[in-house]
Amino acid sequence: MRDTAVQIACRYVSLALLMVFILFPFLWMLVTTFKVDEEIFAPVPSWLISDFTLEHYVWAISEHGINLGKLLGNTFAVCLTTAVLTGLFACVSGYGLSRYKVPGMGFVVLLLVLAQMIQGPLIMIPWYKFASALSLLNTKTVLVMIYGTMTIPVGVWIMSGFFNTIPRDLEEAAYVDGATRWRALFSVVIPLALPGLVAISLYAFILGWNDYQYALILTNSLAAKTVQVGIAEVMESMGKTSWGGILASGVLTIMPVVVLFAVIQRLLIEGLTAGSVKG
Amino acid sequence: MFFKQYGFGYILLTPVVLYIVFFQFYPLFETVRLSLYDYSLVSGRGMSFVGFKNYAELIVHDDNFWPIFLNSVVWVLGATLLQFLIALPAAMILNARIPLRGMWRGLMMVPWVSPVVIIGIIWKWIYDGQFGLANYYLKMLGLIKENIVWLGDANWVWPALLLTSAWKGFPYVALMALSGLQGIPRELLEAATVDGATGWQRFRHVVLPLLRPILFVTGLVSIVSTWTKFEMIWVLTGGGPGYETSILPTYLYTQAFRFFNLGLGSAVGTLSMLFVVGIVVVYARMFKSDSPY
Repeated sequence: MRDTAVQIACRYVSLALLMVFILFPFLWMLVTTFKVDEEIFAPVPSWLISDFTLEHYVWAISEHGINLGKLLGNTFAVCLTTAVLTGLFACVSGYGLSRYKVPGMGFVVLLLVLAQMIQGPLIMIPWYKFASALSLLNTKTVLVMIYGTMTIPVGVWIMSGFFNTIPRDLEEAAYVDGATRWRALFSVVIPLALPGLVAISLYAFILGWNDYQYALILTNSLAAKTVQVGIAEVMESMGKTSWGGILASGVLTIMPVVVLFAVIQRLLIEGLTAGSVKG
Repeated sequence: MFFKQYGFGYILLTPVVLYIVFFQFYPLFETVRLSLYDYSLVSGRGMSFVGFKNYAELIVHDDNFWPIFLNSVVWVLGATLLQFLIALPAAMILNARIPLRGMWRGLMMVPWVSPVVIIGIIWKWIYDGQFGLANYYLKMLGLIKENIVWLGDANWVWPALLLTSAWKGFPYVALMALSGLQGIPRELLEAATVDGATGWQRFRHVVLPLLRPILFVTGLVSIVSTWTKFEMIWVLTGGGPGYETSILPTYLYTQAFRFFNLGLGSAVGTLSMLFVVGIVVVYARMFKSDSPY
């Protein structure tokens, strides 16, 4: 069945409209960050820049601006730790979920599914209380701990899906050769599952990077404040006048996420949709 | 014998189970427990057990509570519906025979992976009453005469919020729908065309029924996650003006972290949880029952 010219044209026009819908806000943000204030606040907004400037980026990074450097540093440290932690849990428990159909596994699966819904407001108040009681408020440690609740359940879930795609023959062969079960896991299976593991870990990184609500309630100073909280604060206090600078920090903050996502997107999408199509 | 066979499996599963139980389920129970206490950090009264007093306070005496509950319902239903309305055509577009499908699909996901704070700021700028793109283009198209303060106008704030939320959230739904579409064998659609079915008929009678299971699950996930979403509304309007756009999660935050009434905030949280469980049950009843599968 060959497609008519009209059908083909429709297809491409729809695709173009979809892409415009998705991308124009980002492009508008980008364009605005390179304009001087007079152009940003011009009565007639324009996609063209007459007076190109980098002053907003300078302001965003500098200390009397947003001090983005310190915030990015905090956020990076927290997210890296979260990514590693998630990767460890995903490897170990994801493997268990995939290979060992133990009695009571239904319960574990139920826990994993429910855990993905027990987020945010439902646990905010007790976490604040615990952090306060244990003097963990405003530390990077407590952020890593609570980010685990966002990343570990889904990480384990997706990782077990990846493990499912690896045939057991290889472990069996390793056992025949006398390997212990830990050895088989770390020397044989994980190297094969490495792309999936990296995808999960980087996804955890992204989730931590994007978080706002937990950092909002658990941090209050530059000791641990993350980039999202910092930018939101500046937005509240200087919102009306510093659009250029705020949007510039937005660009700087989004870039790592987009880059990381581009790297892992194929595998991540595979992992997210794996459970969905029941064979 | 049992231990030899299953022991290792239990060892492997223990870490994640412990993490979830201690760091998620225990706090959940604690939220419910705290809701039964008069627990304010600023009242100087300390913490004391008061049973259902917080609930009575919210359900009977608080003028803001029920409107906020209604907001939550509107927010969840509106956002989910709008997401599906955009996602299904998007999935069909990406399922068509076009080159570089992987790349377009990846681009589509960018709003979904981006941080809410930044997305909120971008859209706040687009919705700006004086300098925003939205007003500019709508005036240019002749659809409005004067600038609208989108996030401040009682009539327009909800459509604005819903649009931003749908823009951010639809890629996930589209992704699931796309993977469902890719599972539909071409022969089925071709057979339908041979039988004389139009495009719309093919969609209604072949595609939609086959997509039903995955759309049901995705809808469920969408409803639950939107119900508990604090960040987007907080960044765009702070729940205001006043409590106009407040939803249960933002009200919880206001009570617990602005007024420091942790007991009342916990009650809001518990009620919110009960409501969403109720909504899920209703949703499951409505959509599972008439499925042939």
